[in-house]
Amino acid sequence: MNIRWLRQLLWPAVERPRRLLAIRIGLLLVAGIGLIWGGLWLWRTYGTARVPLGPQQTVVTINSKIGVHTRLTDEVEPWKIKRTLEMVRAMGAPWIVEYFPWAYAEPSPGRYDWSHHDLVIEHANRQGLTVIARLGFVPEWARPKDSTPLYLAEDQFPAFANFAAEFVKRYAGKVEYVIIWNEPNLSLEWGYQPVSPEKYVAMLRAVYPAIKAANPAIQVLAGALAPTLAPPGSADGMNDLIFLQRMYDAGAADYFDLLSIHAYGWYSDPDEAPAADVVNFRRSELLRAIMVENGDGDKDAMITEGGWNDHPRWTRAVRPSQRIAYTLRAYELAATEWPWLQAVGLWAFRYPWDAKSYQDYYTFVRTDFEPKPLYLEVQRYAEGKSP
Amino acid sequence: MNKNWRWLGLAFVIIAFVAFLAMWLFPDSIRLLRRDNTWRTMQTNGVWRVGMDPSFPPFESLNDAGQPAGFDVALAEQIATAWGLEVELVPIGFDSLLDALQTGQIDSVISALPFDERMTQDITYSAPYFESGIFLATRPDAGIQGVEDLVNQTVGVEWGSMGDQVGRRLHTTTPTLQLQPFDTPAETISALVEAQTVDAILIDNVTLRMAQVNGAALVAVGPVLESNPFVIAMPTTAYELHAAVAQQLTTLQATGGLAALEARWFVD
Repeated sequence: MNIRWLRQLLWPAVERPRRLLAIRIGLLLVAGIGLIWGGLWLWRTYGTARVPLGPQQTVVTINSKIGVHTRLTDEVEPWKIKRTLEMVRAMGAPWIVEYFPWAYAEPSPGRYDWSHHDLVIEHANRQGLTVIARLGFVPEWARPKDSTPLYLAEDQFPAFANFAAEFVKRYAGKVEYVIIWNEPNLSLEWGYQPVSPEKYVAMLRAVYPAIKAANPAIQVLAGALAPTLAPPGSADGMNDLIFLQRMYDAGAADYFDLLSIHAYGWYSDPDEAPAADVVNFRRSELLRAIMVENGDGDKDAMITEGGWNDHPRWTRAVRPSQRIAYTLRAYELAATEWPWLQAVGLWAFRYPWDAKSYQDYYTFVRTDFEPKPLYLEVQRYAEGKSP
Repeated sequence: MNKNWRWLGLAFVIIAFVAFLAMWLFPDSIRLLRRDNTWRTMQTNGVWRVGMDPSFPPFESLNDAGQPAGFDVALAEQIATAWGLEVELVPIGFDSLLDALQTGQIDSVISALPFDERMTQDITYSAPYFESGIFLATRPDAGIQGVEDLVNQTVGVEWGSMGDQVGRRLHTTTPTLQLQPFDTPAETISALVEAQTVDAILIDNVTLRMAQVNGAALVAVGPVLESNPFVIAMPTTAYELHAAVAQQLTTLQATGGLAALEARWFVD
């Protein structure tokens, strides 16, 4: 293509020596920009990652079941990751639940980027915390265009299984528990498909053997069901008690080692009796009963989400004083009355930024790391002091 | 290449550069080239569509007739009346209000909405019309003028609340300050005003003003200790609406209109 006219238009009648000088200046500018960009990339990739892990720590607590769900998935600054995990340890919580998105680790098939996952797990281990890793979030290449990252077609279960296997192999000895998917009984969390216990079990059937083959010591959690009273046929989701029974009916028992439970108290105290038509903290006992009824009583369970909210306007919230009292009682209840429960990972320790909604009132620590009174009271409890 | 075309091209480049420079140096001038469709539609229809979640008395709740009523409702009506418009109150869940605004379902949000700096790229906010944050309050005769007077004093807080958090913050700088937690705001106020077992309390301004208007003998001393201002939210493109709201709020502030709204609605 003849572009001489364009050159003439933009660069008319300039003498050759001046033109050469301009070309040199241009090249120097391009090289300078390249150097700055490269330097920034190196600094972002390696420079900020150089937050020292520090000495090996241990969690001191009177209740070995205290846990929290951290939200480090979108926390990009290493020092904030470290600070978060230091504060979890200092609160007296030996357990964290954390989300490790598949899409972040495998942006294209077979090409892995473990840098962020490494960062979280190394710091958590160094703080003496036990990591319960929640796996999910489908990369674009493994789902149809215009689907959500929570949509996974059945023909891609092997790809998810492959990722899960790579994950547990890489973190052998560092991560002992993984949760397969999150709240599959909600349409939102199931990629806006109609929910299906049978399809979820098919996912477990694909993923569980791959994980065990890669790392036989790993403990696989399933379920993580949202507590919901959704009526039969609801487009939003399925009642968690019904979903769990149908999981068993579909043969789920052979494909998980522990049940993951979500135990939100909403506006009820943690001692309120469980009932099938009530969402409260002790609904966990109903899920446990289904395990026992299906001959799965030898397995333990873990609460991997739950707790109370003290937003002044949310209808499912409690007063701040109630939130503290209920949270302390929930940890104590799990320690003293639920021998089948290994850990209580309450939602959520800290957000990377304010949600500016009721969600902010679930946290233990503000985004600027200032501990909320709840954090300090749990810390006192874990130290064996009375409130 | 035709010589005229060359000059034309050069002129185009120069004009584009000058226009870009002007926009960069004087961003407000761009508004002259834009239309505020929100404001114009309001004028055409004679209606101001205001979104609110009527579940937060005394700012907005449903009255016995099932109609929204409260400080924010009255505020919206007063502003609209000054403009010669009708108010259409659109009930929307609190967490969906800004989405509704951004998708054009409503023209503004007036719903005891706290200012959120993180949203300022997507939303335009008015100046605050009510500060709901945490204040130090005490009895008028207590002799406490501010946090500097809290040495060896007992301060009541609602356990776990933002007031409690501010109190713990103050305790780090004033270790002799004793915090006394209570289960509810009512118990906290009662401990100050009636039982007089505490010297001061840390409390949000909504609860404080409610107590004052209902006759409790307590006063706020010093500046707000944790700010949480309520503001009106509008689309970023609604610069004429924004200016009109600013003018009305200034007028209401100067004429005592906002104080009158507090006196009217902050009652049991």
